[in-house]
Amino acid sequence: MKASPIRLLGFALLATAPVQAQTYTNLIRQVQFPGGSEYDMPVENNYDPNDPTRSLMPIDPGGARFELWTMRASGATLTNILLSSTYVATYMPVATVAITSEDQTSELPRTRADRPFRVMVNVIGLLSGATVPDASKSVNFYHHVQSYGEGGVGTNIDRTQAVQLSGNSLTTVDDHPFNYAIHSVPSADLTKARGEERFSVYSLADVDSGAPISELAGQTIQIWPVADGAIAGLTQGQNIKFRLPQLTLTLNDLYPSSTTYVQAYKGPAVLGTVGTVVPGSALVLNESVPQNRILMVDNYDEAVSEDGQWTFELLTSTPFGIDRLGHVTFNINRSLDFRGSSTTIE
Amino acid sequence: MKSILLLSLMMPLALHAQAPRIRDATTHEELAKTHRQAQQANSAQKLPEAKGPDLSTVKPIPDLISRSDILTFNGMTALVPKRAILNQPTAFATRINNFQQGSQIVRWPEFYEKNRGWITTLEVTRAQVEGKEPIDEKIVEKYRKSSNLVVATFKGGPVSVMPLREPEKKESEQPKTIQPTTKP
Repeated sequence: MKASPIRLLGFALLATAPVQAQTYTNLIRQVQFPGGSEYDMPVENNYDPNDPTRSLMPIDPGGARFELWTMRASGATLTNILLSSTYVATYMPVATVAITSEDQTSELPRTRADRPFRVMVNVIGLLSGATVPDASKSVNFYHHVQSYGEGGVGTNIDRTQAVQLSGNSLTTVDDHPFNYAIHSVPSADLTKARGEERFSVYSLADVDSGAPISELAGQTIQIWPVADGAIAGLTQGQNIKFRLPQLTLTLNDLYPSSTTYVQAYKGPAVLGTVGTVVPGSALVLNESVPQNRILMVDNYDEAVSEDGQWTFELLTSTPFGIDRLGHVTFNINRSLDFRGSSTTIE
Repeated sequence: MKSILLLSLMMPLALHAQAPRIRDATTHEELAKTHRQAQQANSAQKLPEAKGPDLSTVKPIPDLISRSDILTFNGMTALVPKRAILNQPTAFATRINNFQQGSQIVRWPEFYEKNRGWITTLEVTRAQVEGKEPIDEKIVEKYRKSSNLVVATFKGGPVSVMPLREPEKKESEQPKTIQPTTKP
């Protein structure tokens, strides 16, 4: 049999894209059926992602499953996440699942709990006719969800415990788009959901050939919570003389790719106003999971250039836009009034 | 990763080169409303139900880690499929399935390049991978005596070598069985 005629462009692109903040490494594992041998394609770091490649291991009669995994070390623990998988065999329908979100900064699809995403399922190779086996006429499309739990980041979770939300039959060779306005991860507070949703296409069992139900394609998207935060050290309506007090910024569930800062502007709080960044208040993250931080900000008097009413806003900028997490308005009066009189004596 | 950068006063220029739209962070109540609307508009509900048996009867794809041996040395870690290690000297026991905190995960070519001193590869054929043909006895003897870790590869990639299977015998080669005779 010739080398497997599957183009691994999509996989190769993902496998060779610059690893996110050097925390993820991607690997392709080929599993042969029915023998069960496993093979790691020797993808070099300098591989050209624009050049489609072929698997070096020929496919066995029972087909082969190509799995794209990403690995991450969290302390002394290794974590693996299945990014995508494709099963290839003779006379088997071929499917692809592609998830897109507004966050294009990560090769692992991810989004925030309040943002939409889109799943595109493409199926080819379906047949029709009275003599055609059922396994060639349709495929099944499944949607599973799994929560990471409070504060969880998906390390070593048991993915067999994922909950199936839906299972539908696809009978046409076409693109099947599915738009999700919001996540489905179980959570008492929908803004604080942490988990993943998996979309997969399975073949039907073929009674004639004995081929079992197989995952033809699948992809997972991670859902991360909406951040919250607070400014402490200043109270609403406080009158300040001279030096501004130290600020304490409490930041929770900051999006993995985000910039968070305090901005200052003169006047009352008006949403949408653009001010200047308070020195020492900015925090830039390029992580793989949400972060909690406490920042102390001091010696920032230069941000408040003149006396009067001022507003500080705590903002976080993410791939989804800029969100206000909190604000405080105060008054400052640094001027000294000198009251007295002068007299002269001859 | 330490990715905290305290920015200077230059930040406003970078952040607000184009006046962005600022909004208040989304609340649970807003999302609950969106959730209700989304459920009504779910396009998947218009499709027929999945055919065949419940998916819960299908075995999910097992974790990659559970199907791999993890090699760690000198700050680097790489995975190879189980059954790819053909010879494992006891001297290297601490380098196998003993991930060290702080080690960088790399792909096999990079790991092998840096660890040729203690790892040797053995190119195997597809028939050997599938357990249809044995690896030559002389080669087996040689790598068993080697002080290096020996990893099976196929065109440079680590590969599991399945146990040798008994060749399927043709009907004519089947040994004749003698039926026990029974007394009438």
